[in-house]
Amino acid sequence: MTQPKPYGMVAEFEDADSLLAAARAARASGYRRVEAYSPYPIRELDEVIPSWDLLSPMVFASGVAGGFIGFYMQYFIAAIVYPTNTRGMPLNSWPAFTVITFEMVVLFSVCAVFFAALLFEGLPQLYHPLFRIPTFKRVSDDGFFLCIEARDGRFEPAQAARFLQSLDPLKVWEVDSE
Amino acid sequence: MRVHERQRETARPLRAGEEGQAAVVAPGVTFKNLTGQITAIPLQPHVPAFWIACFGAATVALCVMAAAIAILLDVGVGTMGNNIPVAWAFPIANYVWWIEIAVGGSLLSSILHLFNQSWRNSINRLAEGVTLSGIACAGLFPLLHLGRVWIFYWTLPYPNTLTIQPQFRSPLVWDVFGIFTYALASILFWYLDMIPDLASMRDRATARLPYLVYGILALGWRGASRHWRIHEKAGILLAGLLTPLVFTVHTVVSFDFAIALVPGWHSTIFPPYFVDGAILAGISMVTMMAIALRAKFDLKNIITERHLNNLAKVMLTTSVILCYIYVFEPFTSWYSGDPYEMYTVHNRAAGPFAWTYWAFVLLGLGGPQLLWWSRNRTNPKRLFLIAFLVVVGMWEERYMLMVTSLGRDFMPSAWANYAATAEDNALLYGSIGLFLTVFFFLWRTLPMISIYEVRQLLPLSKPGGGTVK
Repeated sequence: MTQPKPYGMVAEFEDADSLLAAARAARASGYRRVEAYSPYPIRELDEVIPSWDLLSPMVFASGVAGGFIGFYMQYFIAAIVYPTNTRGMPLNSWPAFTVITFEMVVLFSVCAVFFAALLFEGLPQLYHPLFRIPTFKRVSDDGFFLCIEARDGRFEPAQAARFLQSLDPLKVWEVDSE
Repeated sequence: MRVHERQRETARPLRAGEEGQAAVVAPGVTFKNLTGQITAIPLQPHVPAFWIACFGAATVALCVMAAAIAILLDVGVGTMGNNIPVAWAFPIANYVWWIEIAVGGSLLSSILHLFNQSWRNSINRLAEGVTLSGIACAGLFPLLHLGRVWIFYWTLPYPNTLTIQPQFRSPLVWDVFGIFTYALASILFWYLDMIPDLASMRDRATARLPYLVYGILALGWRGASRHWRIHEKAGILLAGLLTPLVFTVHTVVSFDFAIALVPGWHSTIFPPYFVDGAILAGISMVTMMAIALRAKFDLKNIITERHLNNLAKVMLTTSVILCYIYVFEPFTSWYSGDPYEMYTVHNRAAGPFAWTYWAFVLLGLGGPQLLWWSRNRTNPKRLFLIAFLVVVGMWEERYMLMVTSLGRDFMPSAWANYAATAEDNALLYGSIGLFLTVFFFLWRTLPMISIYEVRQLLPLSKPGGGTVK
């Protein structure tokens, strides 16, 4: 039987202030693969634990694509495939096409927000090693957790545990990755 | 300051101008009892009698609607009172009315989100529930009005052997795209926003089946700081996209009327007039639901007098704008010099359907004026009654708009009267059953108060120790 690979060292804290202080201390002492878990968004954490996403450019690109598709669908049908004389309007009566063009911009953008958000959140991921922590259920209620992940280059279980213990947590767990 | 000390504090202190108002969250609410209180509504094995009574009555009405739809499909649109010239009557009035109710919910969830109005946190999920239920009803009526529902897809652009395509210069086609986009966007926004609360449900479910269902729906949400940052960003982006969408959807509904040449419809004031009426009707419906549910599910600590007061103020403001529009309607038709426009105004106020006009003026315009008195804004029973009158009044208005303009348009020889049939009434009351069935089903199965957003209103959630900026 081989020793399971560790996922990381996790500490539970009493409140958001302690979590924030602990995250700052972990980053200051050189850990890079650090993640904080909380029951509501803590804006200050975004500066401490930087992360990136492409939500805005993806949404913008989808909106532009939706606009082009929306307009040219109408142009293609009303001017080329099925031309009709409506109230003497020109075949490319673009002002009448603006409404559906706009609706398609919004439709494509909204779908892009939805799928891009899930993509960059890494969801759906129904199982995660942290769910094995007995009190991790509290993260959706009143629990605050900080995890130093094993993929951090500086990670060494005993040292990480000592470091987390020094931050006055409620409890510290070692979590295996499988 | 440590946790237990801060938990005794009330919610945030009042800002200037708020003295004497109730807080957004009542004192004594903590993370623990908040999560417990909201998740218990779907998770508790005991079903409250109030819910059973409402859901039961709603499903009975829904059965009436199902029977009415079966008759409609079997016999054809002739069972409804619609005929030429009044080709749009109950079905389209119902459609516009339900879309209005849906739009009011979107106002709370997206527009007030952009304005950073934190009081909406407690009721925005409930408002979105009203939106989804309203869209379900609204989407049904244009389909039923088509007559041959099973070939509704002929309205969509797709390659077909008839080589016939939609007419993109018609507002009716714009409406198809508008409503479809609005329905899909509302569902995606509602679900994405609910994922953190579904995780709360998953973590508190004790039985196996709820644990599995909520676990799958929560997609494995862990509340990581990365999750939250993207969640917040997506929320702002969606609110920013839904805000113009909500306005255009109801503007396009008004184009269905305004682009026609029918007197009383052909007016540039229609888009703002429809959007404003929609906010009035929708907020009234949200208010009714919020009042009923806070009383029966003991949510007075989360939906406080402050919310009722603010909702009432939105109702009052939009009703004043509507009064302005109704004062200017006779003026613009007189100023146009068009005899048909002038006759339509006369016909509305003194014709065979004058009762619908005056019912609207009394209920829809007069009712909200009672909200100038602050005790009517904060007394739940009175506010419920006023909101009910407004919702009824707004239906009268849409009905009046159909029958007066279409029944007597240009040539008197082409005029005709209109009478609704039992089928029309069954569909209207049945759709109320559909609305309540969907709404109460959502209420009993999903967290219909946004838990994570209310958490952010608690002083405990402010880093730096319970003090408020």
